[in-house]
Amino acid sequence: MYGFHGRLLHVDLSNGQSFWHDLEEARLRAFLGGIGLGTSLLYDYAPPGVDPFSPANPLIFASAPLVGTGLTTTAKFAVVTKSPLTGFIADSLSSSYFALELKRVGIDALVITGRAAGMTYIFIHNDKVELRSAAHLRGKSPVECESLIRAELGTATARVAAIGKAGENKVRFATISNEGRHAGRGGVGAVMGSKNLKAVVLRGDHATEVADPAGVETIAGALRERSLGSLTDKYRKIGTVANLAVFNRLATLPTRNFQQSTFDDADALSGESLTENNFSRRHGCAACTIQCERLFKALNGEEQRLEYETLFALGPLCGIDNPDVVLRAAQLCDHYGMDTISAGGTVAWAMECSERGLLPQTQKLRFGQADDLLAIIPAIAERRGLGALLAEGSRRAAIEVGNASEYWAMHVKGLELPGYEPRSLKTMALGLAVSPRGACHNRSGAYEADFSGDVDRLQADPGRGAIVAASEDYAAVLDSLIVCKFLRKCFSDFYGEGAALLSKVTGWECSGAELKRIGERIHNLKKLFNLREGWRAADDWLPERLLSETLPTGVAQGAGLSANELRQMIGGYYRARGWDDNGFIPDEKLNELGISL
Amino acid sequence: MDDHRTIADATAVVLTGGKSSRMGRPKALLPFDGEPLIAHIVRRLGRVFAETVVVAAPDQELPTLLVALVRDQVAYQGPVSGIYHGLKAATKEVCFVTSCDAPFLNLSLISHLLSQIPDWDVVVPFWQERFQPLHAVYRRSVAPLLHEQLERNELRPISLYPKVRTREIHEGEVRRFDPEGLSFLNMNTPEDYQEAVDRWRSGKSSELEINGADGISVSVELFGVARLLAKTKSVSLSLPQDATLASVFSALTERLPVLLGRIINSDGLIAGYTCNINGLDFVRIPSAKVNSGDKIFILSADAGG
Repeated sequence: MYGFHGRLLHVDLSNGQSFWHDLEEARLRAFLGGIGLGTSLLYDYAPPGVDPFSPANPLIFASAPLVGTGLTTTAKFAVVTKSPLTGFIADSLSSSYFALELKRVGIDALVITGRAAGMTYIFIHNDKVELRSAAHLRGKSPVECESLIRAELGTATARVAAIGKAGENKVRFATISNEGRHAGRGGVGAVMGSKNLKAVVLRGDHATEVADPAGVETIAGALRERSLGSLTDKYRKIGTVANLAVFNRLATLPTRNFQQSTFDDADALSGESLTENNFSRRHGCAACTIQCERLFKALNGEEQRLEYETLFALGPLCGIDNPDVVLRAAQLCDHYGMDTISAGGTVAWAMECSERGLLPQTQKLRFGQADDLLAIIPAIAERRGLGALLAEGSRRAAIEVGNASEYWAMHVKGLELPGYEPRSLKTMALGLAVSPRGACHNRSGAYEADFSGDVDRLQADPGRGAIVAASEDYAAVLDSLIVCKFLRKCFSDFYGEGAALLSKVTGWECSGAELKRIGERIHNLKKLFNLREGWRAADDWLPERLLSETLPTGVAQGAGLSANELRQMIGGYYRARGWDDNGFIPDEKLNELGISL
Repeated sequence: MDDHRTIADATAVVLTGGKSSRMGRPKALLPFDGEPLIAHIVRRLGRVFAETVVVAAPDQELPTLLVALVRDQVAYQGPVSGIYHGLKAATKEVCFVTSCDAPFLNLSLISHLLSQIPDWDVVVPFWQERFQPLHAVYRRSVAPLLHEQLERNELRPISLYPKVRTREIHEGEVRRFDPEGLSFLNMNTPEDYQEAVDRWRSGKSSELEINGADGISVSVELFGVARLLAKTKSVSLSLPQDATLASVFSALTERLPVLLGRIINSDGLIAGYTCNINGLDFVRIPSAKVNSGDKIFILSADAGG
């Protein structure tokens, strides 16, 4: 088999046993790798209705056909499990050398079930699997784990994905971190913590063969060249932090828990200001020509990676206008291994509730107060005081607090909203409402339509359904090949070029239409998993605040979104998907997609 | 910019009464763009400010100007006297004071100075180690202090600054609006004059871009890479009535040549960049019409991520 190894490794932490299983080509062709393969395996390995913290909930690391081919931006892997934050699918991506090593150990996926008796790490060295004690790593940050484990194993090239204290303490938005990057959303780190699994360590020598090396190199060379042109200027020259000033000007920058969509002090936090005042170094993933990461100088002298989502969530969303504070808060989240979006979103909810007198005043939380923010992050990771409540995420915390505080919990399906204001980005509003993993900006790029001029971003209409569905399918293919989204503008015909590339890697005769259909299939399977886990129509919805309040400032002043508008857009989406009016998938659709239960 | 309203509430004061000794002939009457320099400055300021006051020496020869004209009591007493008489004659509370020999005014910078005045009595740029009192905003209420200065023969405007609430606009702040500081380029010698005329003719620095009968004004806001390259957040442009985005791109690259080939080329925006007009419409096609007062953002086409 080309492009794949054709097998997975299943490690059962409860009994310490490991098994290799063949992965049939039909499954790989139907779902590719990454998110697609992970979703397919989740559906099979997770017992229906499983508790996310149950030993039976599988934690799946999935590689993909383009990984290791040398194609720029493809050093990525997926982590898929049932989310402790949403109760639905959690599918996160991370990248760099760990991704390459996952392929090198000779598997397409690693499925972990069970629970170790004590804190453990898994060391996979080609065909050898070892469970080792991680008792001495308890409380360590992922970065500390990486160096300690390498020293312990005596190999500087072992690749480590680890959890921090937040994962150990099952903070429901804990991450799994490798090389400073994170499989960030949905609490995959908490699932890992629930298994007493501190780290997965890889060292491999297996090469992946491709069907047509020269053909792959020709396409890879062309994409590499395009990736260095103006189409990726933003990522190469500033990074995603460039979004902040633009979003502020377009009134799409969620501020103070979505009270408004502009931030008076956005200039100080803008990517342009950070670049001028705090820039330290440009960095990037393995095998990537774009090198989008920006490391900025933090006050303690260390370098800190910062992306737009972190900047928004720990900045304007919490009313923080000081870049040094945002950088420090980001350092803390990375140290403990927490999703910065959900951390910021949950803290912003708490700030609003605290200011409204709905929370016990033992630990003050006020918008714009640096000390409050910097004190609560460790408390969340360690589940201390108010932090124990916030470690549950905004949805559960709001239910616990009651007093109508759910109105201010800005989440979809339990996943906190990213930095895109739905009232001034109506296509994105729909994308966030219907996404299987909750309020997510990565599993669809619905915002692209709003930012393109193809639609009126301030108006809602049912026609957005088809746009969102197409965007989700497109993302599903990107996430399953895997190709980084920052390369997306470099394709002139993504499905055609992607199919040509996949054909040369795998030897399959794959068409653009087949690739497109694969995207639709993957998305439907995600939805099918959610349906099995209890999805109801009410889960595809937005927080009430967004449907009740209009935007008070900026160029979108007065923009709102009514429940009826949202309902109509969701109806349009279900129709575009070929689902019934209530969002359920008819059998004919499953048959059409070749999904058999 | 939202500054048109602010400017409408302010008076422009133009001091013309200098000796012109190094120039060898009266600066106010130097031909500039087909008219006497003072007429040129006054005409252009008049499109923006609600009121213009010209302060001249007692017997100074001037062309006919449709402005309030006041004359110093004493010839060549210096800028403090000129500012004082200008403030006294103004009917608006806030005055932008300039001289008749600085043709490269920049609306963005002037607007920024005016935007600061609500909390201050004087807003004055500090450029290349010097205050720029003849490119500054004064509250009319400081006039009595200037009068006292004249009585004490304190003839330097900067003597006023410690006595009132003075907002200093530092060099970096100026550069955001006027990267080269052309606003402070004045003409003292025939060589200065020739250089200014050449610069004007080359069309590179028609900095006071205003909405007049013969054209429109738009502001361009730069984001991301464009902002880093240009080292400025926004510029104002004056364009013909039938202007399109192509006109904007052309005027913008004349003003900020650093954008040429990196953000804009002869066909318009290069791949990867887009425009948004007034925060509402995303437009890339160069033939798109622009209207007076439009705010045009230049940003990455790859929003999000």
